[in-house]
Amino acid sequence: MKTGAALGIILFSCLSLFPAQVAADNQTLYEGDSIYHHITVNQNRTERCMIFGRQRDLRQTCIDFARPDHSVFEYTAMMFAAFLFRPDAKSVCLIGLGGGYVPGVFRRHLPSVRLQIVEVDPLVEKLARQYFAFSVPPGQTLAIDDGRQFLKKSRERYDQIWLDAFNSDYIPAHMTTKEFLSLVKARLTEGGIVIQNLFLGNRLYDAQLATFRTVFAKVFVFEGQQSASAIIVATENPAVEPAGLRKQALAWGGRIGGIDLIAETAKCKVPPLSSKAPVLTDDFNPANLLLMQKK
Amino acid sequence: MQIVYWVFILLLVSFGAVVMGLEILSSNLMSPYFGGSIYIWGSIISSFMVHFSVGYVLGGHLSQRHPRISVLAAFLVAASLWVLMIPAMYKPVCEFISEEIADVRLGSLIAMNAIFFVPISIMAMVSPYIIGIMAAWRRQSGFTAGMVLFISTVGSFVGTNATAFYLIGIFPVSRIIVGLGIICLAVSLTVLLLRIDRRIKW
Repeated sequence: MKTGAALGIILFSCLSLFPAQVAADNQTLYEGDSIYHHITVNQNRTERCMIFGRQRDLRQTCIDFARPDHSVFEYTAMMFAAFLFRPDAKSVCLIGLGGGYVPGVFRRHLPSVRLQIVEVDPLVEKLARQYFAFSVPPGQTLAIDDGRQFLKKSRERYDQIWLDAFNSDYIPAHMTTKEFLSLVKARLTEGGIVIQNLFLGNRLYDAQLATFRTVFAKVFVFEGQQSASAIIVATENPAVEPAGLRKQALAWGGRIGGIDLIAETAKCKVPPLSSKAPVLTDDFNPANLLLMQKK
Repeated sequence: MQIVYWVFILLLVSFGAVVMGLEILSSNLMSPYFGGSIYIWGSIISSFMVHFSVGYVLGGHLSQRHPRISVLAAFLVAASLWVLMIPAMYKPVCEFISEEIADVRLGSLIAMNAIFFVPISIMAMVSPYIIGIMAAWRRQSGFTAGMVLFISTVGSFVGTNATAFYLIGIFPVSRIIVGLGIICLAVSLTVLLLRIDRRIKW
Protein backbone atom coordinates (compact mmCIF):
# COMPACT_ATOMS: atom_id res chain seq x y z
CA MET A 1 0.00 0.00 0.00
CA LYS A 2 2.78 2.33 0.97
CA THR A 3 4.69 1.66 -2.25
CA GLY A 4 1.46 2.22 -4.14
CA ALA A 5 1.02 5.60 -2.50
CA ALA A 6 4.68 6.47 -3.13
CA LEU A 7 4.34 5.47 -6.76
CA GLY A 8 1.18 7.52 -6.92
CA ILE A 9 2.96 10.57 -5.56
CA ILE A 10 5.86 10.10 -7.97
CA LEU A 11 3.49 9.64 -10.86
CA PHE A 12 1.44 12.63 -9.82
CA SER A 13 4.47 14.87 -9.45
CA CYS A 14 5.72 13.76 -12.87
CA LEU A 15 2.37 14.56 -14.39
CA SER A 16 2.19 17.97 -12.79
CA LEU A 17 5.72 18.74 -13.95
CA PHE A 18 4.94 17.84 -17.53
CA PRO A 19 1.17 17.99 -17.72
CA ALA A 20 0.92 17.73 -21.47
CA GLN A 21 2.99 14.56 -21.62
CA VAL A 22 -0.09 12.39 -21.31
CA ALA A 23 -1.89 14.34 -23.99
CA ALA A 24 -2.45 13.12 -27.53
CA ASP A 25 0.30 13.22 -30.11
CA ASN A 26 1.00 16.57 -31.71
CA GLN A 27 -1.07 18.88 -29.65
CA THR A 28 -1.01 22.65 -30.02
CA LEU A 29 -0.47 24.21 -26.61
CA TYR A 30 -0.27 27.82 -27.70
CA GLU A 31 -0.76 29.79 -30.87
CA GLY A 32 -0.51 33.56 -31.13
CA ASP A 33 1.26 36.57 -32.54
CA SER A 34 3.99 38.74 -31.15
CA ILE A 35 5.27 41.95 -32.71
CA TYR A 36 7.80 39.82 -34.61
CA HIS A 37 6.39 36.37 -35.30
CA HIS A 38 3.48 34.05 -35.45
CA ILE A 39 4.41 31.60 -32.69
CA THR A 40 3.08 28.12 -32.08
CA VAL A 41 4.00 25.83 -29.19
CA ASN A 42 3.49 22.19 -30.08
CA GLN A 43 3.83 18.97 -28.17
CA ASN A 44 4.55 15.68 -29.89
CA ARG A 45 4.96 12.85 -27.36
CA THR A 46 7.70 14.08 -25.04
CA GLU A 47 9.04 16.68 -27.48
CA ARG A 48 7.89 20.25 -27.16
CA CYS A 49 8.66 22.80 -29.86
CA MET A 50 8.35 26.53 -30.37
CA ILE A 51 7.65 27.26 -34.02
CA PHE A 52 8.03 30.62 -35.74
CA GLY A 53 6.12 31.46 -38.87
CA ARG A 54 3.16 29.76 -40.44
CA GLN A 55 4.91 26.70 -41.76
CA ARG A 56 4.08 24.06 -39.20
CA ASP A 57 6.73 21.65 -40.41
CA LEU A 58 9.58 24.01 -39.62
CA ARG A 59 10.42 23.21 -36.03
CA GLN A 60 12.60 25.93 -34.69
CA THR A 61 13.40 25.21 -31.12
CA CYS A 62 12.58 22.00 -29.27
CA ILE A 63 13.17 20.35 -25.94
CA ASP A 64 12.63 16.67 -25.33
CA PHE A 65 11.29 16.59 -21.79
CA ALA A 66 12.11 12.90 -21.43
CA ARG A 67 15.74 13.75 -22.27
CA PRO A 68 16.23 17.47 -21.59
CA ASP A 69 19.95 17.19 -22.32
CA HIS A 70 19.37 15.70 -25.75
CA SER A 71 20.02 18.14 -28.58
CA VAL A 72 16.92 17.74 -30.75
CA PHE A 73 18.64 19.70 -33.50
CA GLU A 74 21.97 18.98 -35.00
CA TYR A 75 22.94 22.65 -35.07
CA THR A 76 22.84 23.14 -31.30
CA ALA A 77 25.06 20.07 -30.87
CA MET A 78 27.51 21.56 -33.39
CA MET A 79 27.45 24.91 -31.56
CA PHE A 80 28.59 23.20 -28.37
CA ALA A 81 31.34 21.44 -30.32
CA ALA A 82 32.38 24.88 -31.58
CA PHE A 83 32.58 25.95 -27.91
CA LEU A 84 35.82 23.90 -27.83
CA PHE A 85 37.56 26.49 -30.01
CA ARG A 86 37.67 28.62 -26.87
CA PRO A 87 37.26 25.99 -24.15
CA ASP A 88 38.35 28.24 -21.26
CA ALA A 89 35.52 30.73 -21.94
CA LYS A 90 34.34 32.57 -18.83
CA SER A 91 31.66 34.69 -20.45
CA VAL A 92 29.37 33.98 -23.36
CA CYS A 93 26.76 36.18 -25.02
CA LEU A 94 23.90 34.25 -26.64
CA ILE A 95 21.72 36.15 -29.10
CA GLY A 96 18.42 34.30 -29.55
CA LEU A 97 16.66 32.49 -26.70
CA GLY A 98 13.99 30.33 -28.34
CA GLY A 99 12.79 27.63 -25.99
CA GLY A 100 15.93 27.93 -23.89
CA TYR A 101 17.68 24.66 -24.74
CA VAL A 102 21.11 26.30 -25.04
CA PRO A 103 20.88 28.23 -21.72
CA GLY A 104 19.72 24.95 -20.09
CA VAL A 105 22.86 23.14 -21.22
CA PHE A 106 25.03 26.02 -19.96
CA ARG A 107 23.19 25.95 -16.64
CA ARG A 108 23.54 22.19 -16.10
CA HIS A 109 26.95 21.52 -17.61
CA LEU A 110 28.88 24.79 -17.85
CA PRO A 111 27.75 26.51 -14.63
CA SER A 112 30.96 28.50 -14.25
CA VAL A 113 30.38 30.32 -17.55
CA ARG A 114 28.62 33.68 -17.21
CA LEU A 115 25.88 33.69 -19.84
CA GLN A 116 24.31 36.87 -21.20
CA ILE A 117 21.16 36.00 -23.14
CA VAL A 118 19.68 38.52 -25.57
CA GLU A 119 16.21 37.93 -27.01
CA VAL A 120 14.37 40.48 -29.10
CA ASP A 121 10.84 39.17 -28.59
CA PRO A 122 9.23 39.53 -25.14
CA LEU A 123 6.65 36.88 -26.04
CA VAL A 124 9.40 34.31 -26.68
CA GLU A 125 10.67 34.89 -23.13
CA LYS A 126 7.15 34.52 -21.73
CA LEU A 127 6.50 31.28 -23.63
CA ALA A 128 9.93 29.88 -22.75
CA ARG A 129 9.14 30.41 -19.07
CA GLN A 130 5.60 29.09 -19.36
CA TYR A 131 6.08 26.07 -21.60
CA PHE A 132 9.78 25.22 -21.53
CA ALA A 133 10.57 25.57 -17.81
CA PHE A 134 13.03 28.35 -18.66
CA SER A 135 14.28 30.58 -15.88
CA VAL A 136 17.30 32.79 -15.40
CA PRO A 137 19.63 31.22 -12.82
CA PRO A 138 22.40 33.08 -10.98
CA GLY A 139 25.29 33.51 -13.40
CA GLN A 140 22.97 34.11 -16.33
CA THR A 141 21.27 37.37 -17.33
CA LEU A 142 18.60 38.06 -19.89
CA ALA A 143 18.09 41.26 -21.88
CA ILE A 144 15.08 41.86 -24.10
CA ASP A 145 16.63 43.78 -26.96
CA ASP A 146 17.61 43.61 -30.61
CA GLY A 147 20.93 41.74 -30.81
CA ARG A 148 22.70 44.45 -32.76
CA GLN A 149 21.38 47.27 -30.57
CA PHE A 150 22.39 45.34 -27.45
CA LEU A 151 25.97 44.81 -28.61
CA LYS A 152 26.20 48.42 -29.74
CA LYS A 153 25.15 49.77 -26.33
CA SER A 154 27.06 47.16 -24.34
CA ARG A 155 30.54 47.90 -23.09
CA GLU A 156 31.10 44.27 -22.06
CA ARG A 157 33.46 41.94 -23.85
CA TYR A 158 32.77 38.23 -24.20
CA ASP A 159 34.96 35.19 -24.81
CA GLN A 160 32.30 33.81 -27.12
CA ILE A 161 29.33 35.37 -28.90
CA TRP A 162 26.69 32.95 -30.17
CA LEU A 163 24.35 34.14 -32.88
CA ASP A 164 21.27 31.96 -32.92
CA ALA A 165 18.73 34.43 -34.28
CA PHE A 166 18.23 32.91 -37.70
CA ASN A 167 15.39 30.79 -39.07
CA SER A 168 15.44 28.76 -42.25
CA ASP A 169 12.87 31.06 -43.84
CA TYR A 170 13.75 34.47 -42.44
CA ILE A 171 16.86 36.06 -41.03
CA PRO A 172 17.33 39.51 -39.51
CA ALA A 173 19.28 41.06 -42.37
CA HIS A 174 20.91 43.75 -40.21
CA MET A 175 22.73 40.97 -38.34
CA THR A 176 24.44 39.55 -41.43
CA THR A 177 26.54 42.50 -42.51
CA LYS A 178 30.22 43.36 -42.38
CA GLU A 179 29.41 46.31 -40.11
CA PHE A 180 27.55 44.04 -37.68
CA LEU A 181 30.37 41.47 -37.62
CA SER A 182 32.89 44.27 -36.96
CA LEU A 183 30.75 45.25 -33.97
CA VAL A 184 30.74 41.62 -32.79
CA LYS A 185 34.50 41.51 -33.15
CA ALA A 186 34.82 44.66 -31.06
CA ARG A 187 32.83 42.98 -28.27
CA LEU A 188 35.08 39.88 -28.16
CA THR A 189 37.99 39.44 -25.79
CA GLU A 190 41.47 38.64 -27.08
CA GLY A 191 41.17 35.27 -28.85
CA GLY A 192 37.38 35.38 -28.55
CA ILE A 193 35.21 33.49 -31.01
CA VAL A 194 31.87 34.06 -32.70
CA ILE A 195 29.60 31.11 -33.45
CA GLN A 196 26.63 31.42 -35.77
CA ASN A 197 24.10 28.96 -37.13
CA LEU A 198 23.06 29.11 -40.77
CA PHE A 199 21.68 26.89 -43.50
CA LEU A 200 23.32 24.97 -46.32
CA GLY A 201 22.18 24.89 -49.91
CA ASN A 202 21.38 28.56 -50.52
CA ARG A 203 23.39 31.48 -51.84
CA LEU A 204 23.31 33.26 -48.48
CA TYR A 205 25.64 30.59 -47.08
CA ASP A 206 28.49 31.57 -49.41
CA ALA A 207 27.78 35.28 -48.91
CA GLN A 208 27.97 34.85 -45.12
CA LEU A 209 31.27 32.98 -45.40
CA ALA A 210 32.65 35.71 -47.64
CA THR A 211 31.47 38.39 -45.20
CA PHE A 212 32.97 36.63 -42.15
CA ARG A 213 36.25 36.32 -44.05
CA THR A 214 36.48 40.08 -44.57
CA VAL A 215 36.22 40.64 -40.79
CA PHE A 216 37.93 37.66 -39.13
CA ALA A 217 41.31 36.08 -39.85
CA LYS A 218 40.15 32.50 -39.26
CA VAL A 219 36.83 31.05 -40.36
CA PHE A 220 35.77 27.43 -39.85
CA VAL A 221 32.51 25.63 -40.52
CA PHE A 222 30.68 22.62 -39.17
CA GLU A 223 28.47 21.16 -41.88
CA GLY A 224 25.47 19.14 -40.75
CA GLN A 225 25.19 15.51 -41.79
CA GLN A 226 21.62 14.77 -40.68
CA SER A 227 20.27 18.24 -41.45
CA ALA A 228 20.83 21.26 -43.69
CA SER A 229 22.23 23.19 -40.74
CA ALA A 230 25.73 24.55 -40.55
CA ILE A 231 27.78 26.47 -38.01
CA ILE A 232 30.32 29.19 -38.70
CA VAL A 233 33.08 29.76 -36.17
CA ALA A 234 35.26 32.81 -36.62
CA THR A 235 38.08 34.35 -34.65
CA GLU A 236 41.17 36.50 -35.00
CA ASN A 237 43.33 34.10 -33.10
CA PRO A 238 42.05 30.61 -32.29
CA ALA A 239 43.09 29.03 -29.00
CA VAL A 240 42.55 25.64 -30.68
CA GLU A 241 43.01 24.69 -34.35
CA PRO A 242 40.52 22.32 -36.06
CA ALA A 243 43.12 19.54 -35.88
CA GLY A 244 43.26 19.92 -32.10
CA LEU A 245 39.51 19.87 -31.67
CA ARG A 246 39.20 16.11 -31.15
CA LYS A 247 41.83 16.26 -28.42
CA GLN A 248 39.81 18.99 -26.72
CA ALA A 249 36.66 16.88 -27.02
CA LEU A 250 38.46 13.97 -25.35
CA ALA A 251 39.71 16.28 -22.60
CA TRP A 252 36.07 17.12 -21.92
CA GLY A 253 35.27 13.44 -21.56
CA GLY A 254 33.75 13.43 -25.03
CA ARG A 255 30.51 15.00 -23.90
CA ILE A 256 28.78 18.17 -22.84
CA GLY A 257 25.46 16.94 -21.46
CA GLY A 258 23.79 14.80 -24.10
CA ILE A 259 26.06 16.03 -26.88
CA ASP A 260 28.60 13.66 -28.38
CA LEU A 261 31.52 16.05 -28.91
CA ILE A 262 33.68 13.49 -30.74
CA ALA A 263 31.04 12.97 -33.44
CA GLU A 264 30.31 16.70 -33.72
CA THR A 265 33.93 17.86 -33.93
CA ALA A 266 34.40 15.51 -36.91
CA LYS A 267 32.06 17.79 -38.89
CA CYS A 268 34.46 20.73 -38.65
CA LYS A 269 36.39 21.89 -41.69
CA VAL A 270 37.98 24.89 -43.32
CA PRO A 271 35.49 26.07 -45.94
CA PRO A 272 36.68 26.38 -49.55
CA LEU A 273 37.13 29.87 -50.94
CA SER A 274 34.30 31.05 -53.13
CA SER A 275 35.31 34.20 -54.92
CA LYS A 276 31.94 34.75 -56.59
CA ALA A 277 29.98 35.23 -53.38
CA PRO A 278 29.08 38.84 -52.51
CA VAL A 279 30.15 40.46 -49.24
CA LEU A 280 27.11 41.73 -47.34
CA THR A 281 27.23 45.27 -46.00
CA ASP A 282 24.64 47.61 -44.47
CA ASP A 283 24.50 49.17 -47.92
CA PHE A 284 24.35 46.01 -50.04
CA ASN A 285 22.22 43.52 -48.20
CA PRO A 286 19.96 41.18 -50.15
CA ALA A 287 20.27 38.57 -47.36
CA ASN A 288 16.68 37.38 -47.47
CA LEU A 289 16.67 37.22 -51.28
CA LEU A 290 19.89 35.14 -51.23
CA LEU A 291 18.38 32.85 -48.59
CA MET A 292 15.59 31.96 -51.01
CA GLN A 293 17.97 31.28 -53.92
CA LYS A 294 18.97 27.65 -53.94
CA LYS A 295 22.45 26.68 -55.05
CA MET B 1 -2.71 62.94 -77.65
CA GLN B 2 -1.15 66.24 -76.70
CA ILE B 3 2.39 66.27 -75.33
CA VAL B 4 0.96 67.74 -72.13
CA TYR B 5 -0.70 64.46 -71.29
CA TRP B 6 2.51 62.55 -71.87
CA VAL B 7 4.29 64.90 -69.51
CA PHE B 8 1.58 64.31 -66.91
CA ILE B 9 1.95 60.55 -67.32
CA LEU B 10 5.74 60.77 -67.09
CA LEU B 11 5.57 62.79 -63.87
CA LEU B 12 2.89 60.58 -62.31
CA VAL B 13 4.55 57.26 -63.13
CA SER B 14 8.12 58.23 -62.26
CA PHE B 15 7.37 60.01 -58.99
CA GLY B 16 4.78 57.40 -58.01
CA ALA B 17 7.47 54.75 -58.50
CA VAL B 18 10.28 56.65 -56.79
CA VAL B 19 8.21 57.44 -53.68
CA MET B 20 7.46 53.76 -53.07
CA GLY B 21 10.99 52.68 -54.01
CA LEU B 22 12.31 55.03 -51.32
CA GLU B 23 9.76 53.71 -48.82
CA ILE B 24 11.00 50.14 -49.34
CA LEU B 25 14.66 51.19 -49.15
CA SER B 26 14.13 53.21 -45.99
CA SER B 27 13.79 49.96 -44.02
CA ASN B 28 17.36 49.09 -45.02
CA LEU B 29 18.51 52.51 -43.85
CA MET B 30 16.72 52.21 -40.50
CA SER B 31 17.35 48.59 -39.45
CA PRO B 32 21.08 48.85 -38.62
CA TYR B 33 20.29 51.61 -36.16
CA PHE B 34 16.81 50.79 -34.87
CA GLY B 35 16.43 47.03 -35.43
CA GLY B 36 14.32 45.09 -37.89
CA SER B 37 11.02 44.91 -36.06
CA ILE B 38 7.50 45.84 -37.05
CA TYR B 39 8.14 49.11 -35.17
CA ILE B 40 10.37 50.17 -38.04
CA TRP B 41 7.56 49.58 -40.51
CA GLY B 42 5.17 51.47 -38.26
CA SER B 43 7.52 54.45 -38.34
CA ILE B 44 8.16 54.20 -42.07
CA ILE B 45 4.52 53.94 -43.10
CA SER B 46 3.21 56.55 -40.67
CA SER B 47 5.98 59.00 -41.61
CA PHE B 48 5.20 58.61 -45.29
CA MET B 49 1.49 59.12 -44.59
CA VAL B 50 2.31 62.42 -42.86
CA HIS B 51 4.49 63.48 -45.80
CA PHE B 52 1.75 62.51 -48.25
CA SER B 53 -0.86 64.56 -46.38
CA VAL B 54 1.39 67.59 -46.27
CA GLY B 55 2.16 67.19 -49.98
CA TYR B 56 -1.51 66.80 -50.91
CA VAL B 57 -2.57 69.98 -49.10
CA LEU B 58 0.42 71.92 -50.37
CA GLY B 59 0.07 70.64 -53.94
CA GLY B 60 -3.63 71.46 -54.06
CA HIS B 61 -3.07 74.93 -52.61
CA LEU B 62 -0.13 75.84 -54.86
CA SER B 63 -1.86 74.55 -57.99
CA GLN B 64 -4.64 77.08 -57.40
CA ARG B 65 -2.27 80.00 -56.95
CA HIS B 66 0.23 78.99 -59.64
CA PRO B 67 -1.41 76.51 -62.01
CA ARG B 68 1.82 76.02 -63.97
CA ILE B 69 3.77 72.81 -64.44
CA SER B 70 7.06 74.70 -64.28
CA VAL B 71 6.39 75.66 -60.64
CA LEU B 72 5.77 72.02 -59.76
CA ALA B 73 8.86 70.94 -61.72
CA ALA B 74 11.02 73.48 -59.86
CA PHE B 75 9.92 71.98 -56.56
CA LEU B 76 10.67 68.50 -57.92
CA VAL B 77 14.21 69.56 -58.84
CA ALA B 78 14.74 70.49 -55.19
CA ALA B 79 13.31 67.16 -54.03
CA SER B 80 15.59 65.28 -56.46
CA LEU B 81 18.65 67.06 -55.13
CA TRP B 82 17.62 66.13 -51.59
CA VAL B 83 17.26 62.47 -52.64
CA LEU B 84 20.77 62.56 -54.10
CA MET B 85 22.05 63.69 -50.69
CA ILE B 86 20.35 60.89 -48.71
CA PRO B 87 23.20 58.33 -49.05
CA ALA B 88 25.60 60.83 -47.50
CA MET B 89 23.25 62.10 -44.79
CA TYR B 90 21.50 59.01 -43.42
CA LYS B 91 24.43 57.51 -41.50
CA PRO B 92 25.29 60.53 -39.35
CA VAL B 93 21.59 61.34 -38.87
CA CYS B 94 20.65 57.79 -37.75
CA GLU B 95 23.82 57.44 -35.69
CA PHE B 96 23.11 60.68 -33.82
CA ILE B 97 19.41 59.99 -33.25
CA SER B 98 19.92 56.36 -32.15
CA GLU B 99 22.48 57.50 -29.60
CA GLU B 100 20.35 60.34 -28.26
CA ILE B 101 17.05 58.45 -28.11
CA ALA B 102 16.86 55.00 -26.54
CA ASP B 103 13.32 54.18 -27.67
CA VAL B 104 13.56 52.72 -31.19
CA ARG B 105 9.97 53.70 -32.00
CA LEU B 106 10.50 57.40 -31.34
CA GLY B 107 14.04 57.27 -32.72
CA SER B 108 13.07 55.73 -36.04
CA LEU B 109 10.09 58.08 -36.35
CA ILE B 110 12.32 61.11 -35.92
CA ALA B 111 15.00 59.73 -38.25
CA MET B 112 12.40 58.96 -40.95
CA ASN B 113 11.06 62.50 -40.79
CA ALA B 114 14.49 64.11 -40.73
CA ILE B 115 15.53 62.26 -43.88
CA PHE B 116 12.33 62.01 -45.88
CA PHE B 117 9.99 64.85 -44.89
CA VAL B 118 11.17 67.32 -47.52
CA PRO B 119 11.50 65.11 -50.62
CA ILE B 120 8.42 62.93 -50.04
CA SER B 121 6.17 65.90 -49.21
CA ILE B 122 7.23 67.55 -52.46
CA MET B 123 6.81 64.35 -54.50
CA ALA B 124 3.33 63.86 -53.03
CA MET B 125 2.37 67.20 -54.57
CA VAL B 126 2.48 65.74 -58.09
CA SER B 127 -1.03 64.19 -58.24
CA PRO B 128 -3.00 67.04 -56.61
CA TYR B 129 -0.98 69.59 -58.59
CA ILE B 130 -1.83 67.95 -61.89
CA ILE B 131 -5.48 67.63 -60.87
CA GLY B 132 -5.41 71.34 -59.94
CA ILE B 133 -3.87 72.35 -63.27
CA MET B 134 -6.49 70.38 -65.14
CA ALA B 135 -9.25 72.00 -63.11
CA ALA B 136 -7.84 75.45 -63.91
CA TRP B 137 -7.54 74.41 -67.53
CA ARG B 138 -11.31 73.87 -67.60
CA ARG B 139 -11.29 71.78 -70.67
CA GLN B 140 -13.21 68.64 -71.20
CA SER B 141 -10.82 65.74 -71.34
CA GLY B 142 -10.68 62.05 -70.62
CA PHE B 143 -8.13 62.78 -67.94
CA THR B 144 -10.15 62.63 -64.75
CA ALA B 145 -8.88 62.99 -61.17
CA GLY B 146 -9.42 59.24 -60.86
CA MET B 147 -7.23 58.64 -63.92
CA VAL B 148 -4.44 60.76 -62.38
CA LEU B 149 -4.53 58.72 -59.19
CA PHE B 150 -4.69 55.49 -61.18
CA ILE B 151 -1.55 56.29 -63.21
CA SER B 152 0.37 57.42 -60.15
CA THR B 153 -0.63 54.25 -58.28
CA VAL B 154 0.47 52.03 -61.17
CA GLY B 155 3.84 53.80 -60.92
CA SER B 156 3.91 53.06 -57.20
CA PHE B 157 3.15 49.40 -57.84
CA VAL B 158 6.06 49.14 -60.25
CA GLY B 159 8.40 51.05 -57.92
CA THR B 160 7.56 48.86 -54.92
CA ASN B 161 8.00 45.53 -56.64
CA ALA B 162 11.02 46.46 -58.74
CA THR B 163 12.84 47.72 -55.64
CA ALA B 164 11.93 44.97 -53.19
CA PHE B 165 12.19 42.00 -55.53
CA TYR B 166 15.00 42.96 -57.89
CA LEU B 167 16.97 46.15 -57.27
CA ILE B 168 17.95 45.30 -53.65
CA GLY B 169 19.40 42.01 -54.91
CA ILE B 170 21.49 43.68 -57.59
CA PHE B 171 22.74 47.04 -56.30
CA PRO B 172 23.82 48.57 -53.00
CA VAL B 173 21.03 50.59 -51.39
CA SER B 174 22.96 53.85 -51.66
CA ARG B 175 23.43 53.34 -55.38
CA ILE B 176 19.73 52.60 -55.89
CA ILE B 177 18.87 55.83 -54.08
CA VAL B 178 21.31 57.81 -56.22
CA GLY B 179 19.77 56.15 -59.30
CA LEU B 180 16.27 57.14 -58.20
CA GLY B 181 17.53 60.69 -57.52
CA ILE B 182 19.02 60.90 -61.01
CA ILE B 183 15.75 59.70 -62.57
CA CYS B 184 13.84 62.35 -60.59
CA LEU B 185 16.28 65.06 -61.56
CA ALA B 186 16.23 64.08 -65.24
CA VAL B 187 12.43 63.98 -65.35
CA SER B 188 11.92 67.28 -63.56
CA LEU B 189 14.61 69.09 -65.61
CA THR B 190 13.16 67.70 -68.85
CA VAL B 191 9.72 68.93 -67.86
CA LEU B 192 11.15 72.36 -67.02
CA LEU B 193 13.02 72.58 -70.34
CA LEU B 194 10.01 71.51 -72.39
CA ARG B 195 8.24 74.69 -71.24
CA ILE B 196 4.97 72.81 -71.22
CA ASP B 197 2.94 75.71 -69.83
CA ARG B 198 3.19 77.54 -73.19
CA ARG B 199 1.67 74.58 -74.97
CA ILE B 200 -1.42 74.44 -72.84
CA LYS B 201 -4.15 76.21 -74.77
CA TRP B 202 -6.22 78.09 -72.24
